[in-house]
Amino acid sequence: MVAVNETSRTGRYDVRGLAEPDAEAPKTARIDGDSAVVDAADLSTRQINLELRRLVYGEGISEVTVTNPGAKHSIAVGLLTRCRITVDGSLGYFACTLGDGPEIHVTGRVGWSLAENMMSGVVVVDKNAGSLTGAAMRGGDLVVRGHVGARTGIDQKGGTILVGGNTGSMTGFMMQRGRQIICGNAGPGLGDSMYDGEIYVAGTVASLGVDCVEEEMTPRDDELLDRKFRIYRMDRPERFRKFVCGKQLYNYDTLEPSERKLVL
Amino acid sequence: MADETAPSENTVLGRSQIFTPEVVNDIHMKAELGRYRMRGGGIFKKIPHWDELVFLPGTLTRFVIEGYREKCETKTVLGGRFAKKPLELDIPVYITGMSFGALSLEAKMALAKGASMAGTATCSGEGGMIPPERDLSTKWYYQVIQSRYGFNPHHLMLADAVEFFIGQGCKVGMGGHLMGQKVTEQVAEMRSLPAGIDQRSPARHPDWLGPDDLSLKIQEVREATDYQVPIQLKLGAARVYDDVRMAAKCGPDVIYLDGAEGGTGAGPHIGTEETGIPLMAAIPEARRALEDVGLADEIDLVVAGGIRNGADIAKCIALGAKAVAIGSAALMALGSNKDVAGADYEGTFGVPASDFYHWHTGKDPAGITTQDPELRKRLNVDEAAVRVYNFLHTLTLEVQMLARACGKTDVHSLEPEDLNALTTEAAAMARVPLAGTKYIPGVTEEKTLTEIRDLLAKHIANDTGGNRDV
Ligand SMILES: Cc1cc2nc3c(=O)[nH]c(=O)nc-3n(C[C@H](O)[C@H](O)[C@H](O)COP(=O)(O)O)c2cc1C
Repeated sequence: MVAVNETSRTGRYDVRGLAEPDAEAPKTARIDGDSAVVDAADLSTRQINLELRRLVYGEGISEVTVTNPGAKHSIAVGLLTRCRITVDGSLGYFACTLGDGPEIHVTGRVGWSLAENMMSGVVVVDKNAGSLTGAAMRGGDLVVRGHVGARTGIDQKGGTILVGGNTGSMTGFMMQRGRQIICGNAGPGLGDSMYDGEIYVAGTVASLGVDCVEEEMTPRDDELLDRKFRIYRMDRPERFRKFVCGKQLYNYDTLEPSERKLVL
Repeated sequence: MADETAPSENTVLGRSQIFTPEVVNDIHMKAELGRYRMRGGGIFKKIPHWDELVFLPGTLTRFVIEGYREKCETKTVLGGRFAKKPLELDIPVYITGMSFGALSLEAKMALAKGASMAGTATCSGEGGMIPPERDLSTKWYYQVIQSRYGFNPHHLMLADAVEFFIGQGCKVGMGGHLMGQKVTEQVAEMRSLPAGIDQRSPARHPDWLGPDDLSLKIQEVREATDYQVPIQLKLGAARVYDDVRMAAKCGPDVIYLDGAEGGTGAGPHIGTEETGIPLMAAIPEARRALEDVGLADEIDLVVAGGIRNGADIAKCIALGAKAVAIGSAALMALGSNKDVAGADYEGTFGVPASDFYHWHTGKDPAGITTQDPELRKRLNVDEAAVRVYNFLHTLTLEVQMLARACGKTDVHSLEPEDLNALTTEAAAMARVPLAGTKYIPGVTEEKTLTEIRDLLAKHIANDTGGNRDV
């Protein structure tokens, strides 16, 4: 685990050593004109975020590179302005979450709940991401070039999730709006209990979840896919299938006997 | 020979206490509907309640504080553990989270205004922030709820405190409900849902599963809010001792416990009746848990569920709560469950106004638990706000009155020693003595057993010269 600075260890200290109420921005970034490099090797989560905020909000620097991130958790969260951040390495849980505007590029892997509740902006991860990727996401583009874990885009409310590899089980669980584009295979329970939105899958689908149905691809769908693949310079698999909500479970009182069994 | 089935009072054997008329009707109704039944409000069945506790005010053993003249502090500070700006309330009671959707815009505004007048807080509830509510609230909790409907990091930055909903006492283990009639275009848009659906919110959070990830989620929100505001975890009271221990270890500033008595805007009747334990039993368990993990002085305890008056609040504080939140009672202060011009409760719902539990239907004659534009006009925001303020002020006066009578110059000085129980059940749950005795079920026996064990140990030690383990 990340070393916690001494003040929080001696004074107000939580059992898991995550709380860092007294930390301050280390002011160690190397600034070069409009851009800066933060070496995170010896920094805690709080220090990295404070440094990012100092640079982006305080110094008005629009391009920051973080080196040696060490898979720390909760990095680059809650950034509510346009900026460009490159993380040279891997991040832990809750990476790049709660953002509105930043463009973030992670060259390594990330843990669970990547870009959770992102409002707008772009997050690109070059390798794999864990489960709950893009949870409750509301806007922007989230691109994972590798594979992702289970429940990708759970409660998704908008934006686009683009996965270069495979997704785990329950992809798009309770998804409300937005799109998911999966180039590889999708695990069991795809689109379970989704309310709306579209899921495009190029590979195999292990099984569909409750109230998820296949629909014909339209030229508009293809146009959207082409555009997204062009932006992120990814090879587009030729054939996609499209999955949407069957809308059978919208209301309690209108269920036919056959539909009722869906919820058992 | 007598005809034992003749139609006469003398031949009737009795009636079932199990298959009561309500139960029989319920079975008939379910046989038609083919689904569980929904309603608003809190628990119907009788459970041990605050009425079974009484205060032991000062007489000769302690002297009392003059009402109205001598100061009795009510200021309540929550979340000083890690937050740079703890939540400072003028009174030990605030308005709990009730969603826009379950409540009308006017009701949310009036609650916010009334709470601000009283110097206390309100909470967004599910479904996101509505700007008029935020504007009218001087202290405002923002909820991080499972569904994350309308959750917006910009709104998070406007919060004076952040509450993670993990459960509610009314329907522990379940997500929120909002029936189609109330999912209007506006409500649906705020939640990114199709309009008119029967909304069943998720019961689990989308981005964490257990306590280990919850610690990280708390870290994430603290990073996003720069450690400025308190983090509160709202738990439905179930396995309170273990849950509170785990919650405490996740690093929050405040833990909020919601007892089984708690109300809801809409929930399954069976869920409301059958989940959770009474607040009276939950508070001592929570205190014990916080003490056992060594955080009793660091983490503040807020409680809610079925709170009606200042005595209920004073009893919660005496058992160890720092503050109390109210939901249903606040709606009633607004004017819910009250006969208003143009309303026909009996004709529309088959119950008198005071029994009106049909908050889920969106047809509230008082214009509070509704989205209907015509019904909403019946609630005057300014007048309703004054009623809420009056009620909050009265609650505080009542708490002070009891605290002063118990010899306290600060309401937070109330303690378990100020209470007695009227029934053995209440004595066992609240862990205060049964009136007229020193008996606390469970505690007394435990103490006696320990004494016997110690005596026995000494005895054996004497007998064997200390050579045998006991
Ligand atoms: C109309 C209504 C709406 C509610 N909406 C929410 C909500 O959005 N989020 C939440 O955490 N609890 C919600 N609750 C539960 C309350 O926060 C609280 O747990 C409960 O009201 C406390 O019990 P009381 O009503 O007996 O005071 C709601 C309750 C009511 C009555």
